[in-house]
Amino acid sequence: MLKIVIQVLVNGVLSGTMYGIAAIGLSLIFGTMRIVFIAQGTMIILAAYGSYWLLSLFRIDPYLSIIIVVPASLILGVGFYQGLFRKVARAGQFPTLLIAFGLMALLENLMFVMFTGNARAVQTSYASYALTIFGIKVSFVRLMAFVMALAGTGAVTFFLKRTMLGKAVRAASENLEYAMMVGITPHTVNTITFALGMGLAGLAGVATATTYGFDPFSGFVFSLKAMIALAIGGMGSVAGGLLGGILLGVVENYTAFFLTGGWADVVAYAVFLLVLMFKPEGLFSRDVSAKL
Amino acid sequence: MTKKRLLLAIIIIAACCAVPFVFDPEKSYVVYFLFMAAIYVTLSQSWNLVAGYTGQVSLGHHAFFGLGAYVVAILWSRHLIGYLDPIGIILAGVAASMLAVLVGIPLLSKLRGDYFALGTLGLGEIMRLLTIQLGAFTGGPMGILLPSSSFGTILPHYFIALSLAVLSIAVMFYMTRSHIGLALVSIREDEAAAEASGINVLKFKVLSFAVAAFLAGMSGSILAYYVFTIEPQGFYGLNWTLYPVLMCVLGGAGTMTGPIIGGLLLTAVFEIARYFLPEIHPIFSGLFIILAIMFLPTGIMGLRKGAPQKGSAGAFDIRRSLKRAKGG
Repeated sequence: MLKIVIQVLVNGVLSGTMYGIAAIGLSLIFGTMRIVFIAQGTMIILAAYGSYWLLSLFRIDPYLSIIIVVPASLILGVGFYQGLFRKVARAGQFPTLLIAFGLMALLENLMFVMFTGNARAVQTSYASYALTIFGIKVSFVRLMAFVMALAGTGAVTFFLKRTMLGKAVRAASENLEYAMMVGITPHTVNTITFALGMGLAGLAGVATATTYGFDPFSGFVFSLKAMIALAIGGMGSVAGGLLGGILLGVVENYTAFFLTGGWADVVAYAVFLLVLMFKPEGLFSRDVSAKL
Repeated sequence: MTKKRLLLAIIIIAACCAVPFVFDPEKSYVVYFLFMAAIYVTLSQSWNLVAGYTGQVSLGHHAFFGLGAYVVAILWSRHLIGYLDPIGIILAGVAASMLAVLVGIPLLSKLRGDYFALGTLGLGEIMRLLTIQLGAFTGGPMGILLPSSSFGTILPHYFIALSLAVLSIAVMFYMTRSHIGLALVSIREDEAAAEASGINVLKFKVLSFAVAAFLAGMSGSILAYYVFTIEPQGFYGLNWTLYPVLMCVLGGAGTMTGPIIGGLLLTAVFEIARYFLPEIHPIFSGLFIILAIMFLPTGIMGLRKGAPQKGSAGAFDIRRSLKRAKGG
């Protein structure tokens, strides 16, 4: 019994990191621009399709496709910011939220028309391979997704903490007016942040393609899950997003194990609503009043 | 001015009432079109009340719409109410209102607009999943099949939907002309200042949310009486939020005429697109939202006389939002 409980925990952590990387992207974008980018999940699915088509058309291994999908997502992120959000970036949440909402509907239906509504999954030789560590079975692709999530989080943290541009992003997300006073251009920072967020979506997309089946409309659920992770972890913190995602994954897996799979989502949303209602600053967030 | 507008309103309502007698509802498409338009206008006005006037962006209107439909379906399938029962329609609205109050009090008490948007978005998903999970009670994923043999003509549906649309406009009219409307607009403009001047912010926010949910729930119930197959994907679909939002924003959020114009215009666009481009028409709704926000932030109504009028400025006025972004 204990072994099963640990097994479920491991599965939960592994699937939770996926929500985690999506949440970090959301959190970065929210942190600097106060944009609730609900098209994040749809972007992940778009990247998953990219990975899928690279494999089926050009026989490029999904893990190798990272070097194409992630830069492409970064560029798309720059394009989104410059094309859609630049004009309304400082106009408050509602216009940007609605644009993100529109973008989600647009991309979903575009993918539906182009790729049909059939669920896709990446078929690789190692898709069902599992490692056994201390008697616990760990799916290889999920472990890789976990490693990718950690690597992505590490890279973003390194960028934010150690590079000048990253410091500019952090400064802008803490206090935009003061950041502008010391010569940081908001549009540059915003563009970088958006590109980073989309890059993470690209990474998450590759991870999704290798681990789950997906269809054009599964992105919305992903966005919601990322938002739940973000709400649990606290908006605007990188580590909080990842932890929130992991916690969500664990909760989901235990619910699915003790009840049924169908209830996992209900419980996840209930946790989300409860956190929003009673602890909107998130469970892992420290200084809230200063940030919001 | 007001007398003129009242006269205009009466003429329009009379014309709408006359439509089914001019166009045969059995053969003509016009009655069905106006029926759908009336439902969309109601939903759009309902969203307008919460987002346009009170400044709280709800992304969960499909939760109330679907709940309204399910209240009717559950009661009717157990023979507690009958076909086109006014009690059923009112109960649908009441149930939606109760849900809105239940969720609204904790979600709206925080001074954060985006949490409300996220929470309501989650609410829609919860309602859909709960409906699927509750199995026999809600019919599960397959939904509830209602006795479609009771359907005679679209006429009663049309008149009920039309009265709902008129009711929603009347509610908006009352709201804008009373101290309630003033309180709502002041909350939208500056929540802290509204609170400081003695307005019970939470009370008014929840009130507007509950009234909006009441309208959305009733419009869900009337569509349930028309469609007869109540299933979670259809009635808890995100489109029931997406389209009204689009109509309201395109017409002009925070104006009374905006959602009417937006509702009629977009119902026409969607119906034409559905006819000529059946596959790809949902793409356009996404594109429309983006274009409308980017190039027409105050909606069609904002185009009138160049600038938005005092007191009826669009909710998405960039200058004001800028001020708010700095203050918050």
